[in-house]
This record gives sequence, C-alpha cells and structure tokens, in this order.
Amino acid sequence: MNLQSIAALSSLLLQQMCVYLVVAYALSRTRLFIPLTRATIRWPHRIACYLIFSAFCIMGTLLGLPVVSGNAIANTPAIGAVLGGLLGGPVVGLAVGITGGIHRYTLGGSFGLAAGIDIVMQGLAGGLTHRYLISRGKMRLLFSPALAGGLTFVTILIELGIDLALSRPFDEALQIVKLIALPELIANTGGAAIFVKILLDRRDSIDRQSRAFSAKALEIAAHVDGVLRDGFDQENSMRVARIIYEQTGVGAVAITDRDKILAFIGIGADHHLPGTPIASQHTIHAITCNEVIFADGNEVPFQCSLSPHCKLGSSLVIPLVGENRQVIGTIKLYEPKTRIFSTINRTLGEGIAKLLSSQILDGRYERQKSLLLESELKLLHAQVNPHFLFNTLNTIIAITHDDPAKARSLLSDLAVFLRKNLKRPTEAVVLSEEIEHTTAYLGIQLARFEDRLTVEIDIPEPLLGVHVPAFTLQPLVENAIKHGTAQMIRVGHICIRGHQDGQAIFLIVEDNAGLYDPQPNGGGLGMNIVDKRIKNRYGESFGVTVACERHVSTRATVRIPLEAMT
Amino acid sequence: MITALIVDDEPFARRELRRTLEPAKDIQILGECGNAIDALTRIHVDKPDVVFLDIQMPQITGIEMLGMLDPHTMPQIVFLTAYDEYAVRAFEKNAFDYLLKPVTADRLELTLERLRNSFFRQDFSVLPEANHLRQIPCFSQHSVIFVKLEEVEFVEARSTGIYVSDTEGQERPTALRLNILQQRTSLLRCHRQYLVNIDLVHKLQYLESGLAEFVTRRGRTIPISRRLLPDIKERLGIS
Repeated sequence: MNLQSIAALSSLLLQQMCVYLVVAYALSRTRLFIPLTRATIRWPHRIACYLIFSAFCIMGTLLGLPVVSGNAIANTPAIGAVLGGLLGGPVVGLAVGITGGIHRYTLGGSFGLAAGIDIVMQGLAGGLTHRYLISRGKMRLLFSPALAGGLTFVTILIELGIDLALSRPFDEALQIVKLIALPELIANTGGAAIFVKILLDRRDSIDRQSRAFSAKALEIAAHVDGVLRDGFDQENSMRVARIIYEQTGVGAVAITDRDKILAFIGIGADHHLPGTPIASQHTIHAITCNEVIFADGNEVPFQCSLSPHCKLGSSLVIPLVGENRQVIGTIKLYEPKTRIFSTINRTLGEGIAKLLSSQILDGRYERQKSLLLESELKLLHAQVNPHFLFNTLNTIIAITHDDPAKARSLLSDLAVFLRKNLKRPTEAVVLSEEIEHTTAYLGIQLARFEDRLTVEIDIPEPLLGVHVPAFTLQPLVENAIKHGTAQMIRVGHICIRGHQDGQAIFLIVEDNAGLYDPQPNGGGLGMNIVDKRIKNRYGESFGVTVACERHVSTRATVRIPLEAMT
Repeated sequence: MITALIVDDEPFARRELRRTLEPAKDIQILGECGNAIDALTRIHVDKPDVVFLDIQMPQITGIEMLGMLDPHTMPQIVFLTAYDEYAVRAFEKNAFDYLLKPVTADRLELTLERLRNSFFRQDFSVLPEANHLRQIPCFSQHSVIFVKLEEVEFVEARSTGIYVSDTEGQERPTALRLNILQQRTSLLRCHRQYLVNIDLVHKLQYLESGLAEFVTRRGRTIPISRRLLPDIKERLGIS
C-alpha cells in the first residue's frame, strides 16, 4: 500500500464525483428538483425525495471504482443516503438507505454485506439528524453545506469501522480500508457539501425570480389601479400603456379596442399610430377567437403589418375580456428582433390583461350605476310635486284679489322654478344659478307659509361663481321644508350658508325643526340622491352629511371639491 | 244657519276658501285654524256644524285629528286637499265629501247644497290614520296637550270624566270616551273603568278573593275585573 495508489484512487474518485455532480447540477435546473429545495413534510414531496436520492445513491455505487479485484468499491452512495435522510427525514432516509443498500449487496464482493449495511446506516444517520434539527427549530441548518459535509464525513468514518468489523478476512479488509479511506472521505464530504450548495443556489434563484416577478406585478397593479375605470379610451389607455412599458421594460406596448389602436408606446411608435385601425392578423385573430397569441418570430412568424422596416420581432397579444366573455380589446407586448421575449413578461402580460379587464368592467358598472342615478334624479325633478304645484296655484289665486303685483311676482317665481327644474341634472352650473333656483322655490314657500316661515341666505360673493352639480342646493332646501319646518307648529327658520375651506366648498342648509329621520327614505329621497351623485362624481370623501339635534335643528352639509367641475 | 270652521295650515288657502264661501248667506264662519291642535280646541269649544279640513298639516294630519274626535259629537267634515291620490281614492270609496284646491265656486255650491239638505253620520274609522291614534289629545281649559301613546300608563273613567295618567304620574282629562280609546289604541281594557298600557305593566298579582290586579312599573295598582281576567290571561299567554 503506497501513497501513490491512494492519491491515484483519490483523483479517480474525484473525477467520478465530478460526473456525479454534473448530473446533479443538470437535474437541479429542472422542475424535478423544486421539491428538494424545501425541507419537506408532505408525502408527495417525500416520495419525490426518496426516488431522486435513491437514484443518486445507486448512481454513486455504479460510478464507483472496484478495488482489490472487485471485492470492494471505492464509491459515493453515502451522499444520496445522507442527503435523502437529511432533507426527507428518518423514513425517507431509511428507505433510501435500504434501497441503496440492497442494490449494493446484490453487487457482491467480500465488502458487499458491510457496504449494504453502511448505506442503510448513512440514510438513518441523515434522517435522525433531520429529526434532531427540526425538533431544535434549526431548519436552516438542513441546507448548510458544512453540516452536510461534516455529517457525511462522520458517517464515512463509521462506515469504515463497520467494514473492518464485518469483512473477512480481516487483513484484506484492513488493506482495502487503508486504500479507500482517504479518497472516500475527500470525495464524499466534498460531494455532499457541493450537492447541498447546488440545491441552495437553485432555491435562491427560484426565490429571486418570483420576488422580482411579484414586485413587478404589484408595481404595475398599483400604478394602473383605477385608470381604466374612468373609461376605456385613448387617453387612459395611453397612461396604462406607459406604465406597463416602463415597468416591464419590453420593446413596445400597445392597447387596442376591437377596431383600432388606442395607445402605442416604444419601438415603432412612429408608424403604429393610435387611432388607426388594427392591421395585425394576430390581433384580429385574438379578438375574434378570444385567444392569447404569442408570435415569437420563430415558430409563429411575426412581421409588422404596417412597415417592412419595423424593428419589432415578436409579439404577445392578449384579449381584454368584458361582460359575458366578450372581447373588448387587446393588450400587446412587443420585443425587437434583437431581444428574446422573456417568460416573465409573458406571464405578466396575461396577468395585466386580467387586471385591466376587470377594471374596465368595474368602470362600466359604475357608469351604469351613475346613469341610473341621473335618470332617477331627472324623474324626481321632471315630476314637480303636484301637492306643491296646486297649493302654489291656490295661493296665487288668493293673492290675486288683494295684491296683484305680489301675485305677478309669485308667478314669475313659479316660472323660474319650473324652468330650472327642466334642466338636465348632468349639467354643471355656477352656484349663483343654484341659488336662483332655490330662491324662486323659497319665494313661493314663503308666500304659502307667510306666518310661520323665515329664511336667511348667507353665501359669500366669491363663491357665487364656483361650479357645482345642478340640483345640489334646492333639493336640500325642499327637504328642510317638507320634512322639517312644514311639520312645525311654531315658526320655522331655514338658514342657507356657504363657505370655502381649502380646496372644498361647504353648503349648509339648516332648519330649526330637528325632525330628521335617519331611516332609509325618512330623510327624503332628494337628499339621498344628491349625496349619491356627489359621491359618485367626486369620491367618498365628498357628499352630504346630516347632523340632527332632536326638535332643535337639522343641518345638512354638502361638501364638494372647489372647481372640480369641467 | 250652518256654522263652519276652516282648518288649513296655509293662510292664503284659508282666506281664499273664506272668500269663496262668502256669497253663501246661510254659512256662518266661526273661525280659522292653522293646525289640528288649535282645531281640536275650537271644535271642542265652538262645536261647529261643518269643518273644512285640510289633510296635510304639521304634526297631526287632518285625518289623524278625526280619530281624536268623539264620533257622537263629530261635526260634518269636508276634506280639503291640493293633491293626494290615496286620500282622494279613500274619500270617493266611502262617499266622504272633499274639495280640491283651488276650489271652484260651482264645486263648492254642490257641497253646500248637500250640507243644507242633510247631515249624515260619517264613519271615519275606515281611514287607517283616523283609526290608530299615536297620541291622545287631552283637553285643558284653553289648550290641547298630546300624550304620546307610549307615555300613557293607564286611562281611568270616573264620574267626572275620562282621565289619562302618564308615566310621570301626571293626570289629564280627555274628551275621548273609554271605548273609543280601546278601539283606536293598543291600550288593554282590564276593567269597566280602566285601560292599561301593557308595555308599562310590571306584574300581575293574584288577590285572596280570586281576583287579580296589575302593578305598573311605577307601582300603581290597576284592578282587573273578574269577567275580563280569563281573556287577559289568555292574551298574555298565562295559563
């Protein structure tokens, strides 16, 4: 036994180990290895773990080098057995060990039995270490290359001990052990450590990828949130396209509806012009068949339909799906001929399309809701309360006898009131027009209830020119009378005030009846609709709030943004 | 001569009706009221033959007010309304007289002609609002006080009249008779002389004689008549 042959064996075994690790590395790039990158508790993962490490265990044996006329093999099944146990737990470890052990035993030789037992022992050692680390809460150490190497080193020492104890004749066994001890220790320790390192790298790269993917997806979702809710038009589409273009870093982004390009940004923007009809066959196909189309330029040819000199070389067309699975448009991502379309961007693209589809749908739903609201309001106002109208006529008839001039002025109030009521509720008006509407209404009510109604209007001059939605003030005043002062025996008082606070305008209608009933429909349909309309148009932070002190006062406050009307 | 009272919360409406009534020399207008509360007092004090009654009025509507009048001394009622589909439908169905504002002289003449020929008993309890009182009008010298039904502890009939006791222990006379109150409120008849608000009863206690009595939350005892005891026990779910 000389040092030379030990060194030669070490070098050979290390070469075999290299082959072994290359196989491990290659497999680590496949999906097969994903279950191995986590300490596993689920049975399907454990079975995968068992199968893979058994395979490595057997491969370690097969790649071994027979020594001393085939009685023993200098080999590396220990790595598979130890790691199988370490990552899969005692059961998996034992199973790998038995599988590998039986395989080794069948190969025979004077070392056969001992080597078989060795492998079982190694799987068990890995499994017990796994259990110990888990019970100590040291999961992280399972993937430590140093630990894997160290554990393998120890099990090889035990293996050599077993070999000596079980193999006969002892002299030959000692010879063999002397020869293989160092090579096996070096190859197995290093191999196990590197194997674990490969797994670690694989895990990190999966994590890194999914982290980058999630970050990008979230970023895009946050940026495009709500943009298309306001309408699926050129302006909003351009904003969304810009966000996607910047976040994904693809060559170009386009958004189309069913007929034309709504937005295009990136390479080729000079000839892909928003507003022009869709020319691409891929896009037309995606729209008609509701299919995602990926033209990578190789398998599915891609050629820009507009210009032969276009630099774009591949495109992904994803339909945007609206109500009843109707395609309402597409979103398209492009890469130039010089770049490859990344899988991340393909997946992202499909995700973005889903997000945008649901936004467009939401937006349509919201707009339909607001249309309904407008028509409700229109109905409410087109139909002047007949009780009010006939009582007014009765009052005017009575006044005609005593005070024709007063009767004339009441008739003109009525004319103004009716005319303003015919206004479309969608119109924006300046506050002074709303006040005119209200004043005409109040002129009539003051005549009807002359002995028990007083009114005070205090709105600062500068506010008179600000824009407000039509039918904001009058319905609230009508409410204050109908459900407030008209129900009072004593004299009713209505106060209308306005002020500006920062970027918000406040209009306040207060009565001294304090009879507001917060139940649905108790406070008047008019008030609810005014509130809903304002919230619908400006958001939840605006609208009508009501404060009521029972039998003392009811105060309705309208909050609208300053000059938000267009 | 027919005496009349005009009840409407709009001053010009009252003035216009008064003017339209002026040519009728056999109609004497006793006065005008701007709400049902004043009207109850005036009807109680002046006992007009006819009341021209607006429906939409503050706090107590015209129809509600009718439920507060004793049907035996009820004046003839002519309803006034500018527009109220439901009420008008009910008036027509029950042949109650009503006038639509603005009132034309011809239409008013028709009503007056009817009044001159006959006064007839009108049963307003068919109008739900008149049949379910939310409050009991209690008359004092010159005013009407409304006691909300949930504040009524019990009602007692004495030789001097009907008295409403409220949760504060305050007692006030009312012009409404016991059986009218029994009909038009949720108060429980427990004795020939008593109605009790069952929501304010603390317990029913048996007496040695086989009789029983209610004890209210304030500690007042209200007798239960032998005749009514089985019905009351059944209604309260006591076997």
